[in-house]
Amino acid sequence: MRRVLILGGGTGGTLLANLLARRPFDVTVLSASDAHLFQPSLLYAALAGASPRLTRPERRLLSRRVRLVRDTAVRVDLRAKRVRTASGSVYESDALVVATGARAAPAQIPGLSETAARFGNYHSDVAAALRLRAALDAFRGGTIAVGQASPICVCPPSPAEGVFLIDRLLRRRGLREKTRLVFFTPYPRPYPAAAIDALVAPRLRALGVEVRTVFDVESVDPATGTIRSLEGDELRCDLPVIVPPFAGAAIEYEPADVLDEDRFLAADKATLRLKGVDDAYAIGDAAALPTSKAGVGAHLQAKVVAAELTGKPAAFDGRTHCPFDLGDGTGVFVTSSYSARAVPCRPRRLNLWMKKLMPRVYWLSLSGLLEPIFDAYFALTAPQAAPAPPAPAPPREPAAR
Amino acid sequence: MPPEAETHRRIDSRGEACPGPITDLALAYRRAKDGDVLELWATDPGVRSDVRAWAERTGSELLSVEDRDGAIVSVLRVRRRRP
Ligand SMILES: Cc1cc2nc3c(=O)[nH]c(=O)nc-3n(C[C@H](O)[C@H](O)[C@H](O)COP(=O)(O)OP(=O)(O)OC[C@H]3O[C@@H](n4cnc5c(N)ncnc54)[C@H](O)[C@@H]3O)c2cc1C
Repeated sequence: MRRVLILGGGTGGTLLANLLARRPFDVTVLSASDAHLFQPSLLYAALAGASPRLTRPERRLLSRRVRLVRDTAVRVDLRAKRVRTASGSVYESDALVVATGARAAPAQIPGLSETAARFGNYHSDVAAALRLRAALDAFRGGTIAVGQASPICVCPPSPAEGVFLIDRLLRRRGLREKTRLVFFTPYPRPYPAAAIDALVAPRLRALGVEVRTVFDVESVDPATGTIRSLEGDELRCDLPVIVPPFAGAAIEYEPADVLDEDRFLAADKATLRLKGVDDAYAIGDAAALPTSKAGVGAHLQAKVVAAELTGKPAAFDGRTHCPFDLGDGTGVFVTSSYSARAVPCRPRRLNLWMKKLMPRVYWLSLSGLLEPIFDAYFALTAPQAAPAPPAPAPPREPAAR
Repeated sequence: MPPEAETHRRIDSRGEACPGPITDLALAYRRAKDGDVLELWATDPGVRSDVRAWAERTGSELLSVEDRDGAIVSVLRVRRRRP
């Protein structure tokens, strides 16, 4: 039986294993953690006082036909399909799929690890989310600065969702009047994609949130709450809520050039095959693809690789479908694909309910049993390919001085 | 110690819709040194106004924006206010 080794038992790896388990494959999932975290619930655990079950045992999410090994991959020879782990074991297979996700990498920015240790964040783990919740519970007024430290961020709506939910929390607690709320971003506008910004910027204005654009975090001083930007600006706050930069897993690869500077893997954007090696793929946040890092992508990419491995050619179309809580009781889905720019649907209560339903549906979705429903849903909500209008031939612009 | 040589880096964001090009540019800016030249190739027309706003705010010099081989090519020189 053909052996498939999947590195990482997260959203993509777990679904892929279960899809392959129904076929004649010998499937092994090698995962650093046996507790599977539903990452989107970190947002509500930290910022809305919710206490859903954030994790489930990975073993229970996998088909009985799938072998689960709890260990951390440290060296991967992609050509030989050989994986060495932290415990010293070696695994070999006929096909290899890397699904090790993205990890928060606060050490990239001076002072950010200390800041996260003290104030937490809602992008790394349950403990950090609970630290942030405690910091918000202790907050009695002053300045809160919310934003993303670097352009690499999982789930593009999450930084703006953070500021909307914090605004809401402060209003509920009667603290909004006593708080200066600042939102910073490395982009030239509050929301990276222009079409979505049309929904976000006016809302921030209406809520009295101060916005600092083109603010790339250079360093943070947790002792004084000072955030400095590469552009030379400075922001002082009492509570920094900073989305950390992200990087790929600390795995050494052979050949080494499959990795980019942030340790994400160069995969074909449609087939997800790793460049330059056979029978090796990368899916989900671990892959360097020109689309957002989100669970929806990991899910759809797992399906593509499952089809590819069964000999049916398939292609990932770059689809995103990110639920976005606008903090006012409504939500939108941000949808895009390689051929369609990010557009929002109309803000509705229903969209928010669907987002709130996701924690329940998620665990079941990993079984692969809901695929017919997902197929129909994604087809129904597919973004209209809106190719960029042909660029008008402008006069040559003089060199700006 | 003599300063490190300035580098010229080409960033290919062709085929990526907004905010792909500006994301790639912001990432390259993070890694650039004062004086480095970044050449951004993009096909999304939104890049014209984004690059201009971005250059102004980061204090970088926008050396040129032109159409080349079906792409919009912007050339910028990074200026660090705090080198
Ligand atoms: C606050 C927040 C909100 C979000 N909201 C949404 C949302 O609303 N919608 C959406 O679609 N997405 C959302 N996301 C993003 C989504 O959770 C991720 O994109 C998704 O989980 C990626 O799946 P993955 O399979 O690539 O990686 P992951 O699910 O992160 O899984 C990676 C797995 O690899 C394992 N691993 C790592 N390194 C190694 C190693 N060296 N060896 C072995 N195993 C390893 C890990 O233990 C983990 O099990 C959100 C994320 C956050 C943080």
